Amino acid sequence: MPQITLGNIRKSFGSSTVIPDFSAQIEDGEFLVLLGPSGCGKSTLLRMIAGLSDISGGDLRFDGTAVNEWTPSQRGVAFVFQSYALYPHMTVRENIAFPLIMDAFQKWYHIPVVNSVMRWKLMRRPDIAERTDHIARQLELTPMMDRRPANLSGGQRQRVALARSLVRDPSLYLLDEPLSNLDAKLRTQMRSEISALHKRVKKTFIYVTHDQVEAMTMATKIIVMNKGEIQQIGTPDEIYANPANTFVARFVGAPPMNLLNVRQHGTVLSLDGGAEWTHPGILPTKQASLGIRPENLNLRPEGEGLIPIEVSLVERLGAETLLGCRMVSKAASETLLGEDLIFVRVQGNPQIEASARFGLSYAADDVRWYDQTSGQAVTVCDNSPLSRCA
Amino acid sequence: MTMIPRLLHVALVVVLVIFGGFPVYWMASTALSTNAELYNTGQSAGLQLQNLPSLLSELSKVPLLRWLTNTSIVALGTTVLSLTLGALAGYALSRFRFRGKGIIGFLLFMTQVVPEALILVPLYAMFISLGLLNSLWGLVLANVGFSLPVAAFIIKGAIDAVPYEIEEAAAVDNCPRFGVLTMVILPIIAPSLAAAAIIAFFAGWNEYLFAATFLMDNTMWPASVGLASFIGQYETPLSAVMGAALIFSLPAVVFFLIIQRKIVAGITSGAVKG
Repeated sequence: MPQITLGNIRKSFGSSTVIPDFSAQIEDGEFLVLLGPSGCGKSTLLRMIAGLSDISGGDLRFDGTAVNEWTPSQRGVAFVFQSYALYPHMTVRENIAFPLIMDAFQKWYHIPVVNSVMRWKLMRRPDIAERTDHIARQLELTPMMDRRPANLSGGQRQRVALARSLVRDPSLYLLDEPLSNLDAKLRTQMRSEISALHKRVKKTFIYVTHDQVEAMTMATKIIVMNKGEIQQIGTPDEIYANPANTFVARFVGAPPMNLLNVRQHGTVLSLDGGAEWTHPGILPTKQASLGIRPENLNLRPEGEGLIPIEVSLVERLGAETLLGCRMVSKAASETLLGEDLIFVRVQGNPQIEASARFGLSYAADDVRWYDQTSGQAVTVCDNSPLSRCA
Repeated sequence: MTMIPRLLHVALVVVLVIFGGFPVYWMASTALSTNAELYNTGQSAGLQLQNLPSLLSELSKVPLLRWLTNTSIVALGTTVLSLTLGALAGYALSRFRFRGKGIIGFLLFMTQVVPEALILVPLYAMFISLGLLNSLWGLVLANVGFSLPVAAFIIKGAIDAVPYEIEEAAAVDNCPRFGVLTMVILPIIAPSLAAAAIIAFFAGWNEYLFAATFLMDNTMWPASVGLASFIGQYETPLSAVMGAALIFSLPAVVFFLIIQRKIVAGITSGAVKG
């Protein structure tokens, strides 16, 4: 099983550069998710790893060997396409067995009639038939082996595509948004099936998605990308808890991290429009944006807490409720500040209506700080043993 | 379906069958009439089966089977060569990017603008120098010149509609490039191949001008030229012409019936999302 090294990988289409310089290392057995918005170059990167797109510059290495010039089949990878890409004229059985038949293919099989006869014979070869049946059983495709893709549901087609990629037992699985065409229920089911598959086969998976739920639930490591550049590499927990910059903070999490462009005056923080409060912890040494996750904000009765707010939006999700709030100016208590909504996540389904007023409090440890110019995370140093810059 | 719409449906089908089948019936009726009837009193509406022996003896005077064999060689040769070259050309025009691609497509299209009669004399001169005169294979080549561009364009259009990801999937599955064409693309576009085959086959089956010009020996004639040879200086045996024409059309009908079953829409459905 290969260790994959991407060294200064670059991809250009004519004069436009999609990926300027990408370097990363993917360890054996990892479930790496490339996460980013549409058009950020994550699928292009996956296609370069698969050998389906040329690499404009840099080195792609499998276990130290440069594989830039290798064909997709030489790389021995499995690729699951977003659009399934099944062979519509073949049955499920033929689709799954196709890679095995191709492995046994000889040049003279190109002769038209010989081709059909040999494929028919290869399909019945015990090892190929057994392997095909085994994979089909694993993915619960046995009852539909003689059907064509047109007669299958979206989930079944996706399972056939997975089965086809599994059958050759490759060391690297590349999955390009494989669940994006499925409905929510099926997506949840397939998500757990793919995770279970990864645990079972213990191979390296590289999975492209723009869906952070998929990334957070399946990945052992996430690379967040934007405009062809790496924004952050880390475990799902690291990425969620400590976003490296404001892009990651806004992209990961639904709703995203609240970011407030505050001004500092001693220990007092203020916003345009007059809202101000005393921060309960240490502040960074220069002006920075305050970032806090919605679940780390606590609702207090009006007049209590640090920040007075008015509820503008209530989204009841059953197990939890999302409140979209606006800050109330301290000087003129009728004025609502024009910043973005501050989202607060509340457990359960409290009977809160829009225009209700509350106070918000938070713990200083839950706050993340970001440079207001570069957007990069700023570490706050104190003398406590828990300090993040200790 | 309720009773009245079903009756209307059946009535419509009967009308269409009569409409389509009448010319064939009329050919049979003409073939089984005597020349005297045809030229003087007019043919009867029914089939006069008692005239069948005289028709057969009339047809036995000409090498009809030979002509049909020649026609079949020309038509099948034209079809196989047009489809083989058309598939390669169509694939290249659809999938490869190369300098002059647009011009090549335009030139292929332009071959359809030129009438056969216009290039007959230059082609004749060329065939003399290539030793292709009085040869069925020469005739196949001449026909392919006209049917290949049509086949290539039909196949190109069909390949354009096949998602490229299917080819990429085949490449990942270790399928060689030529195998992608023969094992993946061509089976998917089978309906378009069948349509191109029908066009090429009938172009070769019905062709007259080149055959009449390039083939001197009457044993080399295809049926189209053979049929025309019935026309005499003083009389034309109409019943024999119709009898031969009926026999001539039957293999073509059988070919069409076999191939047209392949022309079914939607074979690519299920390949990709949507």
